[in-house]
Amino acid sequence: MKTSDQKVVAVIMVGGPTKGTRFRPLSFNTPKPLFPLAGQPMVHHPISACKSIPNLARIFLIGFHEEREFALYVSSISSELNIPVRYLKEDKPHGSAGGLYYFRDIIMEDNPSHIVLLNCDVCCSFPLTEMLDAHRRYGGMGTLLVIKVSAESASEFGELVADPVTKELLHYTEKPETFVSDLINCGVYIFTPEIFHVIQDIRTHREDKANLHTLSSFEALRLTTKTHAKDFVRLDQDILSPLAGKKQLYTYETMDFWEQIKTPAMSLKCSALYLAQFRQKSPGLLAYGDGTKNPTVVDDVYIHPSAKVHPTAKIGPNVSISANVRVAAGVRLMDCIILDDAEIQENAFVKYAIVGWKSSLGKWARVQGEGDYSTKLGITILGEAVTVEDEVVVVNSIVLPNKVLNISVQEEIIL
Amino acid sequence: MKALILVGGFGTRLRPLTLSVPKPLVDFGNKPMILHQIEALKAIGVTEVVLAINYQPEVMLNFLKDFETKLGIKISCSQETEPLGTAGPLALARDKLIDESGEPFFVLNSDVISEYPLKQMIAFHKSHGGEASIMVTKVDEPSKYGVVVMEESTGQVERFVEKPKVFVGNKINAGIYLLNPSVLDRIELKPTSIEKETFPKIASEKLLYAMVLPGFWMDIGQPKDYITGLRLYLDSLRKNEPSKLATGPHIVGNVLVDESAKIGEGCLIGPDVAIGPGCVVESGVRLSRCTVMRGVRIKKHACISSSIIGWHSTVGQWARAENMTILGEDVHVCDEVYSNGGVVLPHKEIKASILKPEIVM
Repeated sequence: MKTSDQKVVAVIMVGGPTKGTRFRPLSFNTPKPLFPLAGQPMVHHPISACKSIPNLARIFLIGFHEEREFALYVSSISSELNIPVRYLKEDKPHGSAGGLYYFRDIIMEDNPSHIVLLNCDVCCSFPLTEMLDAHRRYGGMGTLLVIKVSAESASEFGELVADPVTKELLHYTEKPETFVSDLINCGVYIFTPEIFHVIQDIRTHREDKANLHTLSSFEALRLTTKTHAKDFVRLDQDILSPLAGKKQLYTYETMDFWEQIKTPAMSLKCSALYLAQFRQKSPGLLAYGDGTKNPTVVDDVYIHPSAKVHPTAKIGPNVSISANVRVAAGVRLMDCIILDDAEIQENAFVKYAIVGWKSSLGKWARVQGEGDYSTKLGITILGEAVTVEDEVVVVNSIVLPNKVLNISVQEEIIL
Repeated sequence: MKALILVGGFGTRLRPLTLSVPKPLVDFGNKPMILHQIEALKAIGVTEVVLAINYQPEVMLNFLKDFETKLGIKISCSQETEPLGTAGPLALARDKLIDESGEPFFVLNSDVISEYPLKQMIAFHKSHGGEASIMVTKVDEPSKYGVVVMEESTGQVERFVEKPKVFVGNKINAGIYLLNPSVLDRIELKPTSIEKETFPKIASEKLLYAMVLPGFWMDIGQPKDYITGLRLYLDSLRKNEPSKLATGPHIVGNVLVDESAKIGEGCLIGPDVAIGPGCVVESGVRLSRCTVMRGVRIKKHACISSSIIGWHSTVGQWARAENMTILGEDVHVCDEVYSNGGVVLPHKEIKASILKPEIVM
């Protein structure tokens, strides 16, 4: 088959509502994949990256959120990018590989030669074209995007060992207790349709095993609370680990940024990373101003066209302002995400915070975080429709929707 | 006769319970909070209840359909599109509250639990001939609230004092009013406070009278008061309807157990416990001063005190929950875990002990 005939299909795993409560309180209002980073829904970033793949036929989003939550987004992004995007809802969680397998017939409809599989909550530069070229050179069944991290943090991820010359995946282990390697799995993959046979084999093998013996009580204790039905197949433990070292899987290392967006604090960090990427690749998306007709803008800032920002405000670095936000005179915004319809009154100050949809900050209000993206109260998060009254200070706190703060708080969760 | 129940807003003080249902539907003594009030109103002949709400009308309306038929009373909603305070909602519901009969109508605050001596209130209202009657209740710390200063013998209200710094009286507004339709002429359809604007005006015309509420009173809008309120409520059941309370060798003090709940061997339940429909309390469990909501399973040898266990949660074997532990809906406390004041949001699993009061999101 000529390269020009080889169609590519992309699959983005978007998860579902019961999976993880770590994105609260923002997840009360919006499914995590649609939460905006650098002014665009989280899932938009991998989708845009897919657009650059030659011969991309279609993009699928697979998850178990309600369909209506994605309906609007999917139709608008399809027309905006001029590429079919479709949301496929799982009836229940099948695991990262199980979900892919569940929809194999639909995915294979275009007869793709390659399938790009991405996790929605990964923040990176998605070097998909280069990865696809590398994958073709390796000639294996699958290629994983990998990155070197610090030895201490490696254990939070899937650690792997790769041959330095052939780049073959030699060994893979998920969240090991002892150090295996500082190279980790980024959650971005390219597979040939062979992957479906592999998943099929795992499922059959598992069924046979279940028929042969019941689990010993020790094995039963080691299982997580999720019952592992035969159709729940995880990519890491069930596919990558067993196939490592069998000349089927290869690695492609990225030297760019990479983060996982598991918590609201991380979404602020990743928003900054994407804003920096816009500066490199699409500077037209960023805002500019010097305080005359437009507000003073420092470094990377995104301001939605419908937002109204007073010229005496100073915005940035690392600020994203969503639709219909009103920012009054003398406001200072730094390192923050201001969500739709929020109102920030005169002379208020925001740093290291996420201000929720329809929230309101009074005059001289100060909403601030310490800027530690890894602790629970490292940035301040205001949920939907939170009111911070004039001159009130909110530091390192999380405030649930619909609260009115008329006294200052620090290091608190306000229900 | 008509009544208005001020349901108001988001019930944020009763989170995490109100993350799952609107506040009036949170169970208290094994039935939705608002049902206590609706039943009391039905009992004295109220034919229509209007709920003044501004949040989740669809959830409320669904619930109401069930109870309309079961109770044989008309229930409707009056929805605020902007917050109207404590008096504005009356103006909004005006058409529903006034009819040709010219009878007075009740207004109740939905967070309040009491014995609802509404018949006595009607008699009191008729006897003084004024325009409005309010119930007041005696409290230990009046300066936390709005104090009603009244003439002791007639009950005529002189004035309201908000959070007084010196002692002016120990009676506070209990949130139960009986109003003549003419009161509605005094309230505009805009955010208005009944305590700060409407009542002081009526009091200045010497047309406002206060009656001291007999029996218990509690504002159960937050978990601590909810638990105290349960004790008062069960005390009152002991006095008035003792057959509703549970009996048996494993029961201590006042305990309310739904008939569909199951209790195992060797348990010690009480005092001041409510166990809701479909609950399973396994053997060897100790429960005191707590509410266990619908569908909860308490596993063997667990010990719970001064806590609220939300719908469909489970508490593991040998687990211990105490000191204002509040579990939201579908929370699972693993075996042997200790929670000292953990406040846990819905759909969580607690695998590690919570040694000091903490919110788990």
